[in-house]
Amino acid sequence: MQGNESNKPAAVEVSNLSKSFGATAVLRDINFAVEEGEIVVLLGASGSGKTTILRIISGLETQDEGTVSFDGRDVSELPARLRSTGVIFQSYALFPKMSVEKNIGYGLRLRGRAKSDIRDRVDELVKLVHLEEHRKKRPSQLSGGQQQRVAIARALAYEPEVLLFDEPFGALDAQIRTRLRREIRTLLKEIKVPSIFITHDQEEALELGDRIAVLNAGQIEQIGTPFEVYMYPQTEFVATFLGAANILAGTFENGSFRSGEIAIDLGDTELRLREGQSIKLVFRPEDVFLRKPENLKQSYQNLAEAVVEEVSFVGAFERLQIRLETEEAQHLIVTRPKTETSMNPLAEGDRVSTGVVRFRILPNSPLGSEMFAKSV
Amino acid sequence: MSANLSNLRHTRGFDLVKPLSVAALVLMMLPLILLPLASIFIFGMSAGLDKFWDSLTAPDAIFALKLSFVTSFWATAFNLVFGLFAAYVLARYQFWGRNAIIVLISIPTAIPTAVAGFALLLLWGPYGLLGQYLSDDYRIMFTPYAIILANIFVTFPLAFGVIMPVLETMDRSLEEASATIGASRWQTFWHVTMPALRGAIVGGALLTFARSVGEFGSTILVSGNLSGKTQTAPLYIFAKFNEGQIEAANAVAVVLAVFSFLIFSILFFARDWLEAE
Repeated sequence: MQGNESNKPAAVEVSNLSKSFGATAVLRDINFAVEEGEIVVLLGASGSGKTTILRIISGLETQDEGTVSFDGRDVSELPARLRSTGVIFQSYALFPKMSVEKNIGYGLRLRGRAKSDIRDRVDELVKLVHLEEHRKKRPSQLSGGQQQRVAIARALAYEPEVLLFDEPFGALDAQIRTRLRREIRTLLKEIKVPSIFITHDQEEALELGDRIAVLNAGQIEQIGTPFEVYMYPQTEFVATFLGAANILAGTFENGSFRSGEIAIDLGDTELRLREGQSIKLVFRPEDVFLRKPENLKQSYQNLAEAVVEEVSFVGAFERLQIRLETEEAQHLIVTRPKTETSMNPLAEGDRVSTGVVRFRILPNSPLGSEMFAKSV
Repeated sequence: MSANLSNLRHTRGFDLVKPLSVAALVLMMLPLILLPLASIFIFGMSAGLDKFWDSLTAPDAIFALKLSFVTSFWATAFNLVFGLFAAYVLARYQFWGRNAIIVLISIPTAIPTAVAGFALLLLWGPYGLLGQYLSDDYRIMFTPYAIILANIFVTFPLAFGVIMPVLETMDRSLEEASATIGASRWQTFWHVTMPALRGAIVGGALLTFARSVGEFGSTILVSGNLSGKTQTAPLYIFAKFNEGQIEAANAVAVVLAVFSFLIFSILFFARDWLEAE
């Protein structure tokens, strides 16, 4: 093998992909790559174009512009059957008249492999996905999770270049879903086949992906590790789509974020913000600290005094809605872990001082490229 | 009394309405369907089995039955292939005029069979639109080919009508999955689409065949009704009845009745089985 790691072409590379259906542009200039053994999740609401990307990569749809390449080979013009992708459809699309074994062996049968080869490979895969005792059954006799494993085994049989999962957990109930996605992640890490998932479920994206690409209206808003995308959202959309976020609108004045009485020092900034430019302060509910006025430590950035309007208990944490006692009386959502709630219990009507531990500044224009993050 | 009845109706385990409605259903069917069918068998056997067998094995009777089955077989084969093709094209592609084609395919169900036969005569008959240009050696009308043509015409939409809805409701991702796994269109059709259509194909074939075997109105016009040459089983029944040979007509009628009973039993029971298979 020649060349070093950085010269090696990506397992899957999507470049400048655009697609319109009639007058509606569904994809605009999509670029991303998937490395060998990596799991990338395309996260977006329905209609964001994520399914179309998957269908273009698999060859079931043709792009208007741009290219798709596997290991540096341009496959943009190849029909679906010659691309060697493994698609796991939302409905699994198992062939109902074939047994589990026949389903798994289908790809090898099409490739004219010897019967004994097919049998060996099917044996191996049935073991890999733990379906030994179900191998003679029809898909209709299996549970949703088992059907999904058959679909994965069927795709793995012919050693595809990439696995493409189309909302694979959509048809399952919440409990099974959590268990299955852990199982699948473990399996994918074991077999090291590059994979692309599409989902609208942010929790699923955070748990499954090595990297997440957040899609909005046919464009990738941000791509990065779950940590990066969650902690450092680059756009308001990403901040609100992936987890909850509070957003305060204000202006940049004297190195601070200002909104009415609220002033947050942005510290020594590398910001390229103009004096008076309108900006947004974005922060997560868990990054808000609430204290009875006398207790708030100065190391937090002070927001304002507030009144607790609503307290609800949501399993592992407490969720509060508070109203800032400012002119605009903005509402914030705050979450607090159990340890915190037992030490500082709060009830409706309580007055609190609020501070924010971690926040992001986003320019208040969708075209602005300047952004800035700060942890106190 | 009426209060009592309505009380009974709502008592668990004693629903008077159920046995009454079933009895009413059977009573209605009795004079309309069951008794006419029964009389074929009663009359057919009344002169004794020997007589029945003699009537049935008369050369003209055997010829008529054979002709009916053979012409129906070819009409069925054609309409099955056509129906499958038409259903595939119309279910898979959206195009201008698609609905018009669906209506055209379905039209033969709405046309009286005698009109269908007449139409064929006007096209292929000796003075017909196209028939007038055919030399005597290639005349179609008044030959068994005319019977096949008439059968094709009147059963045209049947197989299509059974196959099309199955294709339309079929999960498209099955075919897409097959393509991504590496199958050509033909392989996908053979390994994925066809198995899903098995029940519909068998059902459509039996329906077409049964309908063809019984065809009368169009056949009597285009076949010429020549005994031992172009006389099908239903025409034979009609001819013998007109000649007053009730036993001869009856024997063939029994065969046709049993045959249709068999076809529908197969349709009824085998389709579930085929679909589950």
